Amino acid sequence: MAVADGRLRAPAAFAPSTRWRGRPVQVAAIVLLMLVGFALFRDEFSWPVSLTWVELPERLDDLQTWLLEQRTAENPNVIFAIFDGFRAFAEWLVTALNDFLLWLTWVGTIAASVLVVLRFGGWRAALIVAAAFASFALMGLWEESIQTLALMSAAVLLSLAIGVPFGVIAGRSESFYRGITPVLDAMQIVPAFAYLMPIVILFSVGPAAAVICTMIYAIPPAVRITALGIRGVTADSVEAARAFGSTSAQTLFKVQLPLARRQLLLSVNQTIMFALSLVVIAGLIGGRGLGDVVTNGLYSNPALAILAGIAIVIMAIALDRATAAIAERTDPTRRHLVGRARRRARRRTVATFVAIAAIVLVARALGADSIYPDEFETATTVYTATIEDTLLGWIQDVLDYVQDPNSFIFGITEPVGNFLLEYLLEPLRAVLVETPWFIVLAGLTAIAFVISGMRPAITALVLLAAIGVMGVWEPAMDTASQVLVATALAVAFGIAIGIWAAESPRVERLLRPLLDTLQTLPQLVYIIPFIYLMPVSRIPGVVASVLYAVPVVIRLVMNGLRGVPPAAVEAASAFGASRTQVLAKVKLPLARDSIMLGVNQGIIMVLAVVVIGGLVGSGALGDMIARGLQRNEFGEGVVASLAILALGIALDRVTQGPRKVQFGKGGTG
Amino acid sequence: MKGKRLAHAVLVAALTLVVALFAAACGEEKDEEPSGGGGGGGEAAQADCGTVTINENAWAGSTANVYIAKAVLEEDLGCEVEITKITEIPVFQAMADGKVDAVLEDWQHVDEYQKYIEDAGTVVMGGPLGVEGHIGWFIPQYLMDENPEFKTWEGLKGNEDLFQTPESGDQGMFLGGDPSYVQKDKELIEALDLNFKHVTAGAEPAQVARWSQLYKQQEPVIFYWYTPQFLNQQYDLAEVKLPPRTEAKKDCKDDAKAGGDPEQYNCEYDITIINKLFSKKFAESGSPAYDVLKRMKLTNEDQEQVAKAIAGDKVDPDKAGQDWVADNRDTVDAWLGQQ
Repeated sequence: MAVADGRLRAPAAFAPSTRWRGRPVQVAAIVLLMLVGFALFRDEFSWPVSLTWVELPERLDDLQTWLLEQRTAENPNVIFAIFDGFRAFAEWLVTALNDFLLWLTWVGTIAASVLVVLRFGGWRAALIVAAAFASFALMGLWEESIQTLALMSAAVLLSLAIGVPFGVIAGRSESFYRGITPVLDAMQIVPAFAYLMPIVILFSVGPAAAVICTMIYAIPPAVRITALGIRGVTADSVEAARAFGSTSAQTLFKVQLPLARRQLLLSVNQTIMFALSLVVIAGLIGGRGLGDVVTNGLYSNPALAILAGIAIVIMAIALDRATAAIAERTDPTRRHLVGRARRRARRRTVATFVAIAAIVLVARALGADSIYPDEFETATTVYTATIEDTLLGWIQDVLDYVQDPNSFIFGITEPVGNFLLEYLLEPLRAVLVETPWFIVLAGLTAIAFVISGMRPAITALVLLAAIGVMGVWEPAMDTASQVLVATALAVAFGIAIGIWAAESPRVERLLRPLLDTLQTLPQLVYIIPFIYLMPVSRIPGVVASVLYAVPVVIRLVMNGLRGVPPAAVEAASAFGASRTQVLAKVKLPLARDSIMLGVNQGIIMVLAVVVIGGLVGSGALGDMIARGLQRNEFGEGVVASLAILALGIALDRVTQGPRKVQFGKGGTG
Repeated sequence: MKGKRLAHAVLVAALTLVVALFAAACGEEKDEEPSGGGGGGGEAAQADCGTVTINENAWAGSTANVYIAKAVLEEDLGCEVEITKITEIPVFQAMADGKVDAVLEDWQHVDEYQKYIEDAGTVVMGGPLGVEGHIGWFIPQYLMDENPEFKTWEGLKGNEDLFQTPESGDQGMFLGGDPSYVQKDKELIEALDLNFKHVTAGAEPAQVARWSQLYKQQEPVIFYWYTPQFLNQQYDLAEVKLPPRTEAKKDCKDDAKAGGDPEQYNCEYDITIINKLFSKKFAESGSPAYDVLKRMKLTNEDQEQVAKAIAGDKVDPDKAGQDWVADNRDTVDAWLGQQ
């Protein structure tokens, strides 16, 4: 086709890519045509029953029942022996880790973590880890934090054990990578709610089931980033190795893996982050820990739920900084130790472990508790050892303020929420739902063609049609309207803030913890205030999506702007361009592809939160999925999840632009 | 060279030590369970009770039941009570696998009864808890005072626009219940030909947030709600009567999950008998805890009182359960078979 292909583009150093010229006009024309269709045939053609596979949900229900029957049968299939074996193993692993941390005593746990990080990651990271443990203790959530830590460690270990080998294969084989990509997409987009029940049937409840759910979500970034790392090893190095007669295995272990080390460690880091975002879901099926506190707290003590959410964020940030620091400090390409330095390092390692062993033994001898106690007793008095009540009091004060319909903030947020609903969400929903389905289908396909090319357009067409065939066209279009509004907001804020942060390192430093918080705080937690502040059912869901997606957009925009060759900027400045001119005429055009990637990733992130929207009143697909688990409408839940997946990939193809290979998602953190 | 070897040896020794300590830990873990609360607790454990695992559901009423049961089992039988927090449907599989012994508050999950109790036989019915669930349409008392005609659904007819909000357009807003609960309000609205738009606020905490805020503003609001619920002690609510279940409407259904003709749902919600469920393994274990839990009975008032103490007044759940047991010794003795 005539559509420009990324590979053929001339490597002209600073010219903004020309492919964007004229496209906005074409897209606008298509949208206009769709609006004409809306005006003429409003509400006249809904998806016909004759084109719907009505029995699909029932068939899926049958599948689940069959699974249950197989599981309880007198002579279960040998397959179940494998599942049981894995269950026993995962359960053993989690319990062993948990027991080990308890056995270390709380003093020993702190000492061990801090000293290990101090030895391999430096004092900064060690300080963060120490602060994290101190906060778990002071929050009165020590036991739950340890349970979550054990669960997450097991899940991350197993995810890496599976993800890294697959990533290596994907890195070495293009066709394997292409084959596995849709599977990885599905694992990340299909909400855990949809497959929770089958997992419980197969693996029962408890740590094993929680580990499996977490793995499904955490394996994809491990695979993707590992593959990216392996591919990043320059062809020269590989060829050189071959030329010297290395076998394939030697090339892998002696050249590719060592050179990809930083990416491998990044994949550990991202796997941890993704795993932590499933803590709450894991709580629903017996994962225990902080997730439990969040879900049950929401009903009876929201302040406590928020406190537990904060503990999850602290854990995520501490693990992130610690693994990043360890990756940085132990990178052999940066710090190659020889001779004395190496011996000294060894001695320090030994000293670290000896110190840990000593502290643990002393702590146990002195009778330190296995979990941090709520109060310390001396002969005469009892001291409260946590500040949980104070913290809960503060959070409650904030909640009370937020709940007060006469508060100052409410006076701003309520009209904003109503405005969003009346002038953005409602009209867009009306257009998408009430325009004849074939016009929407044709319009979206045409937009995909204009922006991304022929093949993506065909994919989008097929997937959108599949949504209709599954019988969920209307809720899917309803969800799509919310997704589009949320994405538009996330992109608008993301680009603005991303530009600001790219121009000012100080802003970036201040933003970083905030962005980390937004990515790891369970959405159910930060959504609570918005239910009060913007009391319109679909708005809190949109807000949750925006808050979840905006960090990724910010990071991509920032990276894109930073990636603009300095020579281009210098040249423009030399010709007397002002800072604003440089930004508008040079940097932004050059960073366009990266910004489009931000749009695209924003959509994926927004879709990942659709279920949460269902829990706070967004209706449509999210509602169907939430009900699917809680009322055991398994089939409907799966259909809705598949629709989200189809919608996700379709919107991805519509907006992806002419990218060759998409490594995304995890690589942004 | 020598120093390096020494370092190696020490490293290996240290690692071995850690592993050995860990292995030892696994062996001795059981006898050093943290002693919860630190005082006031039980008599010496009776050998035959052991550990009982009870599941707590997210809502406050369920927490109340569980901690009352915990107080009785721990103090009077010397059992060790473990609490799991697994969500409603997966907990059936948990009982089937023997991972959960008892669920004290099940709101008639008849599909699961069929699968797990009738077909597979891995779960046994424990009979009614005594608490009776009642679902209905509720409005704030102040609204009922101003509009006494809202006592029945007929009074709503023609007055729907009172409940208008930005998202319901020119219709009135009906705030639907948690999507995971039994409900038929969309169908009822259609069958009764009311000009309401059914708005889903999402899970219960979100729904409560919505109506409680309108309550604080003293605005009109009508919503799906139920008893027993501890919030009923905090907010003054009144019920709108729906068409009664007459003889002619004997087959009227409450759960519109299956969809179909709205007319078949055109009646008030029936009283929901809340059941206790046990895993078959637990029922056949001969544990004295089983007999006690099977005899356990609570009234709506009992449950609301304890739930309010826990969720409303933020009393420690263990203490709230123990307090109730102390105040209701006779009832508890009956469960223990001591009368």
